[in-house]
Amino acid sequence: MAFIIELLPHIFNGLTIGLLFALIALGFTLIVGVMELINLAHGSLFAVGAYLALATMSFFGASGFTSPTLLQYGAALIIAPIGVAILGMGLELGMRRTYGKEPLYGLLFTYGAALVIEEGIRQLWSSNDQYFPTPRIISGGMMFGDLIYPKYRIFASIFAIFMIILLWLFIERTKVGAIIKAGAHDSEMVRVLGVNLTVLRLFVFSFGAALAGIAGIILGPIWGVRPHMGVDAVIPAFLIVTVGGVGSFWGSVIAGIAVGLTSGITAYFAEDWSLMSIYILLAVVLIFRQRGLFGKASSLDT
Amino acid sequence: MTFSKKYLLVLTFLVMLITSVSVLAQDELPPIIIGFTSDASGQYANSGAMDRRGMMMAIEEFNANGGVLGRQIEWVHFDTETNPATATRVAERMISQEGVSFLIGGVSSGVANAISQVAQQHGVIYFNTNSSSPTESGENCHRTKFVWDGHGANFSQATVEGAVEAYGANWLLLTNDYVWGHDTSAATRALAEASGATIVDELLVPQGTRDFSSYLLTIQQQSPDVVAAAVGGDDLRALRIQVVDQGLDTSIAWINNQQDWPDVYGVPPFGIFGTTWYYGFDLPGVDEFVARYQEMFPDTSLSVPGNVLYNGYVATHTLLTVIEEVGTTNNHAIIEALEGREFTAEERMQHFGAWIDADNHHVQQAIYIASANSNPSEEYDIYEIATIVSPEDAMALQDCTLESLEDTPVYEP
Amino acid sequence: MALILSKFRSDFIKMILVFIFFVTVPLWISRVGLYNYIALEILIWCIYGMGYNFALGYTGLPSFGHGAFFGVGAYAMAIYQIHWGGDSLWIGLLLSILAGVLAGGVTGMLISHRRGIYFSLLTIAFGQMFWFLAIKLRDVTKGEDGLLNLQRLPANFGLFSIDLSNTDSLYYFTFALFVIVVVMLWFFIHSSFGYVIRALKQNETRAQFLGYNVTLFKLISFTISTAISALAGGLFALAQQSAFPDVMSLHWSGIIVMMTIIGGGLVSFWGPILGVIFYFITRDIVGGMTEAWLMWFGGTFMLVILFQPEGIAGLWGSLSKRFLTGKPALPTVSTPQEAQHEPV
Repeated sequence: MAFIIELLPHIFNGLTIGLLFALIALGFTLIVGVMELINLAHGSLFAVGAYLALATMSFFGASGFTSPTLLQYGAALIIAPIGVAILGMGLELGMRRTYGKEPLYGLLFTYGAALVIEEGIRQLWSSNDQYFPTPRIISGGMMFGDLIYPKYRIFASIFAIFMIILLWLFIERTKVGAIIKAGAHDSEMVRVLGVNLTVLRLFVFSFGAALAGIAGIILGPIWGVRPHMGVDAVIPAFLIVTVGGVGSFWGSVIAGIAVGLTSGITAYFAEDWSLMSIYILLAVVLIFRQRGLFGKASSLDT
Repeated sequence: MTFSKKYLLVLTFLVMLITSVSVLAQDELPPIIIGFTSDASGQYANSGAMDRRGMMMAIEEFNANGGVLGRQIEWVHFDTETNPATATRVAERMISQEGVSFLIGGVSSGVANAISQVAQQHGVIYFNTNSSSPTESGENCHRTKFVWDGHGANFSQATVEGAVEAYGANWLLLTNDYVWGHDTSAATRALAEASGATIVDELLVPQGTRDFSSYLLTIQQQSPDVVAAAVGGDDLRALRIQVVDQGLDTSIAWINNQQDWPDVYGVPPFGIFGTTWYYGFDLPGVDEFVARYQEMFPDTSLSVPGNVLYNGYVATHTLLTVIEEVGTTNNHAIIEALEGREFTAEERMQHFGAWIDADNHHVQQAIYIASANSNPSEEYDIYEIATIVSPEDAMALQDCTLESLEDTPVYEP
Repeated sequence: MALILSKFRSDFIKMILVFIFFVTVPLWISRVGLYNYIALEILIWCIYGMGYNFALGYTGLPSFGHGAFFGVGAYAMAIYQIHWGGDSLWIGLLLSILAGVLAGGVTGMLISHRRGIYFSLLTIAFGQMFWFLAIKLRDVTKGEDGLLNLQRLPANFGLFSIDLSNTDSLYYFTFALFVIVVVMLWFFIHSSFGYVIRALKQNETRAQFLGYNVTLFKLISFTISTAISALAGGLFALAQQSAFPDVMSLHWSGIIVMMTIIGGGLVSFWGPILGVIFYFITRDIVGGMTEAWLMWFGGTFMLVILFQPEGIAGLWGSLSKRFLTGKPALPTVSTPQEAQHEPV
C-alpha cells in the first residue's frame, strides 16, 4: 500500500506530462489528418511560438527574470500564435509543388524547413537558453499533503484540457470543423462539395502551426526556451500520432496521456530510462496494431 | 605556340617571381595562432563565451607590448557545441587546416577530453581552462594537456566533511550524466561515506534536462538531509529556477559542487557551493582586473568577471609568459617549463600561491566555499565567501600516467 | 551475365573517373584550402551514402534512422578495441559489419512489412532507440563522452603489414574498401536481385502479385544497406579514433538523407557521392564565412525538393544532354536506373 501511495505522485506527474504531450500533438495530428502530411517543421513552429511570446512580453515591458503581468502574458498568448500562423502560411505556400507527389516529399520539405527555422532562431536570438517567466499567480509551489508540486504545471495541464475540448468542439460543432472532418476522410469529396481545397489546406496548415505555437508558449517555462526545443517537441508529437493512429483526434489525446503515464511511472522506478519506455511503448503498440490504436487506412501507408 | 600563349606564360612567370620576392622581403615573423576551443552553443554556451573573453584579455595585453618573441598573437575560434564529437573535428581542423600553435579552452569535460586526445597525437599543447572532471588530470591526463580549474574532487574534499557534520548523514546525489558528473559524484560519495554518511539514492540527470519535476518529487519523497548536486551549466540554471520556484531551496540543504559565474546571473544561488575566484576579493590587482574587463567589454549582461573568465585569462597569460621566458614555441621546452611551475598568490589573484603538479599537470590551488550573500554591497555582490581552503587541504590527487616526452611528437609552430 | 558485363562496360568509364578523382585527392586537396583529414571523412561518408542509397534510391526505403547503423558500426570497432583489447583491423571491421547486419536485420524484421511514411516513422523510432541506448549504456559506451583513444590498427596481410596511423595511408586503405563497395553495389543492383528490388520500389503491390516475397526482399536490401553503413561507421571510428553517440541522432540521420537527395541519389548511382562532397564543401567553405551555413544548406535542400528532386546528378544529366544535342533534355535522366527513374 505504501508503494502505491509513493507511486501516486508520479502517476499524477505522468498525467500532466501526458496532457502536455497531447497539447503538443494537436496541431501535428490535425495536419496529418487533413493533408496527409508529416510536418517535421512542427517542432520548429513550436519553438518559434515560445520565442515570439518572449518577444511580445518584452515588447510590453516584461523582460529578464521578472514575472510578467497577466496582461503581458495574455498578449503573448494571443499575438505569438498569430505570428506562427503567418509563418505557417508561408510554408504552406512554399510546399504546394509537393502536393500530388508522394507524401515523402512533404516530409522532406518540412525537414529542410525545420533546419532552416532552427538556424534562423540561432541567428535571431542566439544559441543561448532563454528563461520564460510566468505570471506570479501561476508560479511557485503548491502543497499536496507533504509534497510540493509546481503550480505552473497544474495550470498548464488545465490549459491543455481546455485546448483539447475547444478543438474538439470546433471540429464537431462548426461548419469549418465539418469540412475539416470531411477533408480528413476524403479530400476529393470535399472538392466535389464545392469547397476550395487550396484555401482549406492553407487554413488547416496555418491553424496547425498556431496550435504548435501555443504549445510552445505553454511548454516554454517548463522546458526552457532554446533553439533545440523544436526537436524535443517534434519527436513526442510524431510518436503520439503513430501510437494513437493517423487521423484520429481522440487517438492522439489518449496516446498522449498513455505516453505521459508510461514515462512518469517509469521515472519512479528508473528515472533516466523514462524516455526509452516511450519507444518501447511505441514498438509494442505497433507490433500488435499496424496503424496504431485508432488509425485508419490512408495514402501514407502505401 | 602562339604569341598570346607565350605572353601568358611570361606573365605568369613574372607574377610568380614578384610574389616570391615579396614574401622573402617580409622580415615580419609569422603570428602565433591560438585556437579557442570553447563552446558557443549547448549546455555551456555562456561559460564558453566568458572563457574566450578571458583569453582575449591576456592576448590583448601581450599584443599591446609587442607580442611574444617579437611575434603577434592571433586567435581563431570554432564552436565545439558542448559536444565531444564536434570537438574532435574542431581540434583536427584547427591543427591541420588553421595551423594553430596552441589550443586553449574547454568547459565541458567530455569536450576537453576529446580535444586533448587529438592534441596529444599532434603534440600540440592544450590548456583545459574550465572543465573540472577529476579524470581530466587523472585517467584522461596527457603530457600536452594542462588543467587549470579546481576539479570536482577538490570541491568535494573542501565541502563534504563539514556538511555531514552540519546538516546530517542522509545524502542524495544528483548527477549530470556525463564524465564530470559521474566522477564528481563518485568523489563525493567516497568522501561522504568516509565521514559516516549514507547515500540514500543517486539520480542521473541527462545532459540537456530542463524539466526536473519528477526528480524533485523523488527528492521530496526520499527527504534526504543533503542533496549534493553535480549538475552544470544551463542544466543547473534550469534546476535552480525550479527549486527556487517551489521553495525547495530552504527545506533541504543543497551542496552544488561548483558554481560557475555565468550560471549565477538572474537566479541567485542557494545552498553552499565552491568556486576558485570572486571579483569581490580584497586582494591586490583584482580591482584593476575588473576595471580592465569592463573597459574591454562594456556592453555585456555580465558586467563583472567571474571564475570562468579568470581561468581563461590566467591560463593564457601563463602560456604567453612561459613562451617569452623559454624563448621558443617548442612544445617540449614549454611543457618542461610548465611542469612544477609555481605561482605567487599575487600572480594568481588568490589568497594562496599555486603550482602545476608535474605528475598530473593539474594546477593545485585554493578552493573557496561560498553561499549566497544575504547582505550584498551592490547588485553583483552575489557570493559570501565562508571558507578558504588552502591548495594542500583541497588537494585530491588522481591516478594519472603521462606519456613520456619521447612519445609526444615535437611541435614547434 | 553477358548483359551485365556489357552494362558494366558502359558504366566502366564513369567508375574509373570517380576512382581516379579519389586517388588523386590527397595530392591536391591542401591546395584548394582544405586538408587531408577532411578528404578521409568525405570518403568514409561516401561509403555511408552509397550504402544508404541502396535502401533509399534503389529499394525505395526512406529510412530516417540510418545514423543508428553507422553508429553501431563505430561502436563495434571501439568496443572491440577498448573492452576486448582487440588489435586486428580485420576482426574490427568484420565486427562492424556484423553489428550492422544484426542491428539492421532485427530492425528490418520488425519494420519491413510497413510501407511509405509509416516505414519512415518507424525508422525514426528505432534510430532514436539505438541512439538512446548508446547514451544510456554508460558502462559499455561511456555515454555522451564517447569511447576515446582508439588505435588506427595496421592492415596486416600476413607477409607484410601496412601502418595506417597516418591520415593519408588510412585514406588509401579506405579508398580500397570504397572501390570494393562500389563495384559490389553495382553488381548487386544489376543482378536479378537488383531488378526485383527496383520493381518493388516502383510498385510494391504489383511485385507482390508477381509472386515475390516483398517483405523478404526489403529486409535483405535494408540489411545490406545497414551493413555497408556500419562498415563506414567502423572506418569513421578509426578516423576519429573515437566513437560518439552523436552520429546516431535524428539530426545526423537526417543529414545523410539530405546529402543523398541533394546529390541525386534518387536517380543516379553516383548521387550520394556528389551530395557528400557538396555537404562537406558547404560546411568547410561556406561555414568559414558564416556560422549560419546549415541554414543555407537546409534552404538549398528545400529548393531541391521543390524544383530539382533529381539533385545535382539530375541537373548534370540534363545540362550535359542539352549541351551535347543542343536540344532541351527530356525530363528523364539516363543513369544506372535507366528508364525506371521515378521519384521515390
